Amino acid sequence: MTHAAPLIKLDTLATGSRGTVVHVAPGDAAHGADLARRLMELGFVPGEKIRVLKRGMPGGEPLAIKVGNSTFALRRFEAALISIQPE
Amino acid sequence: MGASDKPVAAAAQMTAHTPLVALLGNPNCGKTALFNRLTGARQKVANYAGVTIERKEGSFTSPGGHPFRLLDLPGAYSLSAHTPDEAITRDVVAGLRQGETPPDVVVCVVDATNLRLNLRLVLEIKRLGLPMVLALNMVDVAKKRGIVIDAERLSQELGMTVVETVAVQGGGEKTLLRALDDMWPMQHVQANPLSAIDAVPVEDTQREVRRILAAVSNDSHDKGNLSEKIDDVVLHPVLGPIILAVLMFLVFQAVFAWAQPPMDAIKNGVDGLGEMLKANMADGLLRSLLVEGIMGGAGSVLVFLPQILILFFFILILEDCGYLPRAAFLLDRLMGGVGLSGRAFIPLLSSFACAVPGIMAARTIQNPRDRLVTIMIAPLMTCSARLPIYALIIAAFIPEREVAGFMSLQGLVLFALYVAGIVSAMAVAYFFKRTLGANTQQPLMLELPSYHWPHLRNLALGLWERCKIFMSRVGTIILTLMVLLWALSSFPGAPEGATHPAIYYSVAGMLGRALEVIFAPIGFNWQISIALVPGLAAREVAVGALGTVYALSQTGEELASSLTPIIAHSWALPTALSLLAWYVFAPQCMSTLSVVRRETNSLRYPLLMAGYMFALAYVASFLTYRIALYFVGA
Repeated sequence: MTHAAPLIKLDTLATGSRGTVVHVAPGDAAHGADLARRLMELGFVPGEKIRVLKRGMPGGEPLAIKVGNSTFALRRFEAALISIQPE
Repeated sequence: MGASDKPVAAAAQMTAHTPLVALLGNPNCGKTALFNRLTGARQKVANYAGVTIERKEGSFTSPGGHPFRLLDLPGAYSLSAHTPDEAITRDVVAGLRQGETPPDVVVCVVDATNLRLNLRLVLEIKRLGLPMVLALNMVDVAKKRGIVIDAERLSQELGMTVVETVAVQGGGEKTLLRALDDMWPMQHVQANPLSAIDAVPVEDTQREVRRILAAVSNDSHDKGNLSEKIDDVVLHPVLGPIILAVLMFLVFQAVFAWAQPPMDAIKNGVDGLGEMLKANMADGLLRSLLVEGIMGGAGSVLVFLPQILILFFFILILEDCGYLPRAAFLLDRLMGGVGLSGRAFIPLLSSFACAVPGIMAARTIQNPRDRLVTIMIAPLMTCSARLPIYALIIAAFIPEREVAGFMSLQGLVLFALYVAGIVSAMAVAYFFKRTLGANTQQPLMLELPSYHWPHLRNLALGLWERCKIFMSRVGTIILTLMVLLWALSSFPGAPEGATHPAIYYSVAGMLGRALEVIFAPIGFNWQISIALVPGLAAREVAVGALGTVYALSQTGEELASSLTPIIAHSWALPTALSLLAWYVFAPQCMSTLSVVRRETNSLRYPLLMAGYMFALAYVASFLTYRIALYFVGA
């Protein structure tokens, strides 16, 4: 990876920062294999712009994430499935 | 029904039946508001067969004079169902659900301010090949935000009629009605198999959405808006929880303060009617059945209607304006610690008024395991039916004195009882989390929709619905149980020359006396044991039953005030404390258990609930009694 801004996981993106979805990894079997699919159905599709609006307390969880015109609250492990190209 | 006779059935339907319109859309797209707008109060709310997912059907006649049936399908993000709600939507729309007529037309409702999310579902459904109309809802809000959508172009791109609707405004549904009229007469079309939907990967669907959006709309995404500014405050790490706490305090205050006058009115009305019957009827079985069984029994439950309505008034407003998901967001981490979802907050809050609406509100929790745990702990929240008992015992045994200069000891004890309920609920939830398996984290994926002004018409319809559900339950299950308990408490009658009150000789009395053997170790005398039997129907009935046992003839306020010195005189303090502990846990409410049975569709969970709560109650009372004995002496 020689990218200037390497890919990061969505859960590590700072509050207020923007990025573009690059990849959604399938969750482990315990969460149901279609976790990634559901995330995509909610709009977390490669190419979509996202922004971290808020984080819950304590522990920075859940995260309120704006994708397109909608806002979704995700737990940390869900957000960790989404790879982001930060802006 | 075999597969072979389906075409025949379909042909018959085509000629004879009223066309069925299915309303389908993402959650939060204003679908239910549109449903209310189209059908008014002409709606039937029931459950889908075999599950506890609400099924709302209504009917209307179009301006062209055509009758229609309208089905409001549960909100869905996709037809590849992830929740039981979505599975229903998928099966009904694809004509796969037994006992449901396949829809003739699908009206896809989309939020015009959020086509990027909503159009994906539209493209999915389109692949089923059913006749479709797209209702571009909330166009008023979209226009205000400067979003321009070329409806004609959208119609060309999608290959279906597109109409603009404003569900929250009178007449906002007219365009949709006209479009449905234009489709008359309808030919029933068999839906394509569901595999047609999966033929296209999600990424490709989204690419198509982006292409259409670019062609029909100026919608550049991710501009900050008013909702975000509100969220800056409402979801603020410090301000957010404070606002939540203040709101909850106000709701509580309202539930208990505002409800008092109508509750008194209902109580006086029922009591008055009872008195009237008593005065005008000869003493006998029928009078006893009417006055004590029916009026006394059902009346004691009916009295909670004002509280339930006020509580739902607030819940519906908070839900309508979009606050509830924010509350779930704020509490998610906290409740996640004991394995609950933030969504469990509303059912648990409702349960402070009454566990029955609380358990019904658990329907909003999509994960079946989370929902079950929430239902199981809901009755541990101190419901208002416990208050009469608490009030009686506290008044009799806890001295009225100040603690630390400003707090009343009686108030502190009451507060401690509430806290005991909450803490034990959390402990039980944690226990269930460990035992019901599922150590894995559950996904949250909770949409935080834009804020909206609550809408009065929807509010009124929502309250009317709650009222109907509650009344029909009072009228059926609860009344039956009350009459049954009355019979147990009345038969057989007292023998000649009886020295004890009549209930002593009844089946309930025999049961109570037999139970004394079990209850003696936790300090209950036979009077309490007997009172607990009719008290199984509803907690507060035990106060009346104690009155009966101690042979008092007063009712209501008078009874409580004359009962107080009697029990203060005849019970030891450890017994009183033990009874308080008992009431924190004991599942003394038939209505709750019958609702659990209905909501879980099984006998297993109400039995499990009764079992674990009785066990907790016994252990807690035993410990309380023994510890109190040690300190106070017998």
